[in-house]
Amino acid sequence: MTVIDAQGLVKRYRTGGQTLYALAGIDFTLEAGEFVSIMGPSGSGKTTLLNILGLLDTPTEGTVLLEGQDVTGLGDSKRTALRKQTIGFVFQHFYLLPTLTAVENVEVPLLLDSDPKVKKRARTLLERLGLGDRLGHKPDELSGGQKQRVAIARSLINSPKVVLADEPTGNLDSETGRQILDEFQRIADEDDVAIVAVTHDDLVNEYVDRTVHLVDGTIGRERKNGG
Amino acid sequence: MAGRFFPAALMARRNLTRTKMRSLLASLGIVIGVVAIASLGMFGVALQYSFTQNLGNVGNQLTVYPNSGENITELTERDIRSIRREASPTATVSPVKTRVEPVSYNREDAVRETIYGVENPAELYEAKEGRVSPFRSGALVGSNVAEEHDLHPGSQITVNGTSVRIRAFFSTNPDNRIIMPATSFSQRGYSEVYVIESTGTRANETAMGIRDALNDREERVFVQELGSLVDTIEEQFQIINTVLAGIASISLLVAGISILNVMLMSTVERREEIGVLRAVGYQKRDVLKVMLMEATLLGFLGGVAGVILSLGAGLAINHYAVGDAMAVFRLPNAWYVGAAFSFGVLTSIVSGLYPAWKAASEEPVDALRG
Repeated sequence: MTVIDAQGLVKRYRTGGQTLYALAGIDFTLEAGEFVSIMGPSGSGKTTLLNILGLLDTPTEGTVLLEGQDVTGLGDSKRTALRKQTIGFVFQHFYLLPTLTAVENVEVPLLLDSDPKVKKRARTLLERLGLGDRLGHKPDELSGGQKQRVAIARSLINSPKVVLADEPTGNLDSETGRQILDEFQRIADEDDVAIVAVTHDDLVNEYVDRTVHLVDGTIGRERKNGG
Repeated sequence: MAGRFFPAALMARRNLTRTKMRSLLASLGIVIGVVAIASLGMFGVALQYSFTQNLGNVGNQLTVYPNSGENITELTERDIRSIRREASPTATVSPVKTRVEPVSYNREDAVRETIYGVENPAELYEAKEGRVSPFRSGALVGSNVAEEHDLHPGSQITVNGTSVRIRAFFSTNPDNRIIMPATSFSQRGYSEVYVIESTGTRANETAMGIRDALNDREERVFVQELGSLVDTIEEQFQIINTVLAGIASISLLVAGISILNVMLMSTVERREEIGVLRAVGYQKRDVLKVMLMEATLLGFLGGVAGVILSLGAGLAINHYAVGDAMAVFRLPNAWYVGAAFSFGVLTSIVSGLYPAWKAASEEPVDALRG
């Protein structure tokens, strides 16, 4: 099942008298359970593509279908609601709230809903990610890998269809990076969640189903991995 | 909707504890503002209370004077009868005669004093020492006069060359008068008439009746109602109180600016966190809610501390101004404390609006770019 179908994405910025193309016509589809990495040099449009796929940004041209629904022209409020329902985010700098415990951080996306089941689910997710003994710890009491695992649990709290990760291993040593990538692979396989990871890290490519290379806002070569 | 505020309160509370010192200082401004408004208000109330306590019993009195502007120098027996007719049956009507005589105390040189002639002084004056009635001879003096000249019941003073025995003191205001029996006065007219009614409202009605009856053709009399004087003075107190509270609220304005500043700093520092919240599905109004909750908490904490301190201040103020610390629990004080608290919280919320709006309207993409 196709989760995201993006066609002809163009993102233009006008700075001064110049027009900059962050994306210059990109087609991108994502199937459920797929683990895809997006690679490319700085300024190639990786983050812009990720933001558009994650409904944080809107393309200047082109269409985005999320589970078959056209979300291209939606306003901020509707995009926000859709993000909450179907998308999870993992960031390079983890971006956990320093004042909240691990469990509370995982609850954050649904915290305002006051749903008593959320806390239980947050616990289960953390236990699954091997943090059962760190539930009440604040982020500054956790290692980098543990923080990123809390962030992954947070991205899964809303049972998303897609998890978008921006440099998920960028701040981790390679050993910890492998553990995180193992988790991603497991989530993609077991939960049928599609994962897109923007990265510079070649290590990621050992785990993904395919890699998309971006060069100057266009898709370069695409390489499929074994499966 | 109400239930949805509590998780916001959790986040807000944690955020405030992140920078404890800053939060404390910000709400200290609110504390000072609330204390300033509440205690100045309570000070005004205490002042007004002790004033009306002292003057409270004159509200039912009125005094009728001949209108010297119309060349009427004294009130006639006819006038007195008219006044008695207008006054209610239970009222006390005391006509008073005056004359000026040389008076000497303890064989000193004589000074010219006004002597008041009253038929039944028991109606107007309460004896402090000695007996006021029956009153056929001798003189009564106010305790002020007695103290000044070291007089006692039984002492002698000389009025116009004749020795007069002091029969009693009275402490009722005005207590600087010398009173002699009206029968000792040769003139027939009266220089003033006191009317004491049972209530202030009746006094007011009587005053209007007297004016209607006596000032029909010409302005014969001038009626002074102490009650309306008290009202005027109380109105003045209200104005003073309002001005005091207004001055005090300037401190709340300053507190508001400090909260604005703290919240703005906080939104700048937490730009990325707020970006993450927006990314994971917080609507603009959710972010607004969390931020406003922080401002509200600051105001609430400051307000509660302010109210507690104000009650302490109020106990002290009432102890010294009214002589009864428990008088702080009277209703007008509650009003001032409540108003100060509400203004404190309101100031915080208003000050939090702009930073909250700024935080909420930032594009998550920009915030997360760092």
